[in-house]
Amino acid sequence: MQLLNLQGVTKRFQGVTALNSVDFDLESGEVHVLFGENGAGKSTLINLIAGTFPPDEGQCFLEEHEIGRLSPAQSRDAGIGVVFQEFSLVPQMTVIENLFLGREHKSSLGRLDHRRMKREGQLALSNFGFNVDIGKRVGDLSRAQQQMVEITKALLFQPKILILDEPTASLTEAEASNLFRLIGELKAKGVGIIYVSHRMKEIRALADRVTVLRDGRLVATVPATTVSDDDLVTLMTGRQLDRLFPEIPCKRGDVRLSVSDLALTGAAVKKATLEVRAGEIVGLGGLIGSGQSEFVRAIFGLEPISGGTIVVDGKQVTNPTPRTMLERDITYFPADRVAEGLALTRRVRENVLFSALWLQRFTRYGLLNLGEEKSAARNVSERLKLRPNNIEYVVENLSGGNRQKVLLARGLVRPTSIFLFDEPTVGIDVNAKFEIYELMRELVEEGCAVVLVSSDLQELLHMSHRLLIFNKGRITAELTGDDINEEKALKCFFAEDVLERPAA
Amino acid sequence: MTDTNASAQMIRTSFTGNLPNVLLPIAIVALFLFFGALEPNVRTWGNLSNLAIQASYLTVFALAQTFVVIVRGFDLSLGTTVSLISVAASMAMVWVGGATGSDVVALVACIATGIAIGLLVGLVNGFFVARWQLNPFIVTLATLNICMGFATTISGGFQIFNVPSILNDVFYRASFLGIPAPVIACIVLLVAAHLVLTRFRLGRALFLIGSNPRAAVVAGIPVRKYTVLAYVLCSGIVALGALLLTARTGSGEPNLGGNLMLESIAAAVMGGASLRGGKGNIAAPIFGALVITVLSNGMNLVRIDGYIQQIILGLVITATVALQARAENRRSAK
Repeated sequence: MQLLNLQGVTKRFQGVTALNSVDFDLESGEVHVLFGENGAGKSTLINLIAGTFPPDEGQCFLEEHEIGRLSPAQSRDAGIGVVFQEFSLVPQMTVIENLFLGREHKSSLGRLDHRRMKREGQLALSNFGFNVDIGKRVGDLSRAQQQMVEITKALLFQPKILILDEPTASLTEAEASNLFRLIGELKAKGVGIIYVSHRMKEIRALADRVTVLRDGRLVATVPATTVSDDDLVTLMTGRQLDRLFPEIPCKRGDVRLSVSDLALTGAAVKKATLEVRAGEIVGLGGLIGSGQSEFVRAIFGLEPISGGTIVVDGKQVTNPTPRTMLERDITYFPADRVAEGLALTRRVRENVLFSALWLQRFTRYGLLNLGEEKSAARNVSERLKLRPNNIEYVVENLSGGNRQKVLLARGLVRPTSIFLFDEPTVGIDVNAKFEIYELMRELVEEGCAVVLVSSDLQELLHMSHRLLIFNKGRITAELTGDDINEEKALKCFFAEDVLERPAA
Repeated sequence: MTDTNASAQMIRTSFTGNLPNVLLPIAIVALFLFFGALEPNVRTWGNLSNLAIQASYLTVFALAQTFVVIVRGFDLSLGTTVSLISVAASMAMVWVGGATGSDVVALVACIATGIAIGLLVGLVNGFFVARWQLNPFIVTLATLNICMGFATTISGGFQIFNVPSILNDVFYRASFLGIPAPVIACIVLLVAAHLVLTRFRLGRALFLIGSNPRAAVVAGIPVRKYTVLAYVLCSGIVALGALLLTARTGSGEPNLGGNLMLESIAAAVMGGASLRGGKGNIAAPIFGALVITVLSNGMNLVRIDGYIQQIILGLVITATVALQARAENRRSAK
């Protein structure tokens, strides 16, 4: 049965056509993957289906009934469940309050039926194999756990259509395989699933059909079984992509950053030692929440330190703050671009210069040098192939990949030679990923030192010259050369932890 | 959806998307013409000049609010700060004038007292908001009370008379090329504020902090220092406004602040400064202040009852702010 059918839908934002006469349909019991670069129109399409905003043109049919415009609430009542990339959770509320937000169970007299909500919420979470404390505030959960809550929230009311936007972006492999099992069960029940992903492996594992969008237009809808990976990438980019990961020669130079026995207040990191030299990429891996992210954040002065020393270029830094670390040519690029990276309401130019406002090049006596600022912003916008290539654009209107480029641009406008990347490619398309890897190659060739924290195992394996594995707040292994492979890495991820690992 | 619907949608979006730039000037002119048609006195030169002076005061106070609104704050203590400065600066002027016999020295004392109090209030507000991370609502509500208490205590609740007339001469009666002093002061402040916001690191830092305070920390911007500065700038401008307003009556008034707190915040937000921070420019206070002033002036001249005026003003403010919020939601819905 056809659950959803869109014909010739068009959506414009202030003159920019985000979606241009696109057809899309969804059968019950299928996984229909949406594939395309950032800014191709995937988010706009799922937002139309979710009722976030109405289309400007085109017709929408839900189970063969034409619908004009849906509000988010109506679309939910019509059986459409959405898991957005940017979560719709309230950080100040508990897991259980979030799960039932806006559709609380009530007992007689209109009082909230806490007991029933707790029971059902707990049941749902454990059914889905998610290990999350339902009494905790969502703000205190890790990003992976928030993702699980978000998915559970969408599934709790048995949707007929489920939209998943990059659901595995912050999940580990084990958690992801749990999700895939779940998707299989939903398919069997006849739920139609729209799945947005950039990961070829997931598309292979899940998809029945794939719809490729490029620049707001429909390129093709193809059955997943007959299309090859290369075909998909070619359809998406309009050009051939030979290899995703560049070959990066490693020419080790002087020690730039040396951290010994670093421990954090709160014990997210217990005792970690690291040495990074010029001209190399050091990867930090491990299960999510093993301390690798907190470790680099602490180096940059964003987490309270309880012990250990940090030495940059031979000089000890006793009390690191972002300010002092920037002055030592270190820049940290946060994993959460929206929360910690960008000033969304401001222009590209202002965001690019965000951390460069105290450089003589850009300010004298507190006066901004707008000419220099514009030319610097234009240069990096060219170099990073920003789209649209317009430095006066408000960042809010950019796609995920382009937002990430704006963030990375910071490291290029101020003297930076030690780069701390925290999940630099989360939620961005293959093409933008490729460009970011190329950037890393250039940086390393110029003699920069790079630290890469990532939950994308392929990325870590291919990009790292050395791979350090975090396990429960400690660095438990260092892999080099041929030892950097999936089997060895995963073994270290799960060392002493094998029993807790859910059946994958 | 049909084509007409789609284009109507686009027109609506493009208009509300630029509310301060397109709709507000139209609304201001329309309001003026409306009252002008009802009451010929509205259209006289005398009233126009009166309107300009009136709007100047409110623009100055709304401009002050704009600085804190940009960093996600607001200043509820603005009105009572005006009252406190009015009585304290007047008393200083009377006292120094009497002791030295020199009007000029008295004027300097008056200005110095006013600005000192303004900076102090700003420092206190900024310190508690930035350093202690307290909500600006509570902090500035507390200073509202403190300023009110001081204003009433030191004046005994009475006006301060016998203020040397030089204050009135310089800050109210003086004019340049026929433009009255308060209007000139307002224009100078606006130009300076515009430069600070668009050409100086200070303004840039305020916008970035307001847009995303956590990101500003990660980018190495001294967030606390600049937040304090925003409040100090705000109250500093308030001090100048308070001196201008005191000069108009030529006496210290313990109730001079009146409705200024509400009207200044309303004007800034109506004009397009976002309470969510990170957005605003000097057009916001200008347009916001003009709407409120033209409306009040018109209602006065067509003799609408004072209490009814309050109701209408409240409704207009609510409606405009709602339209602004809708335009903003529309823009960030994407």
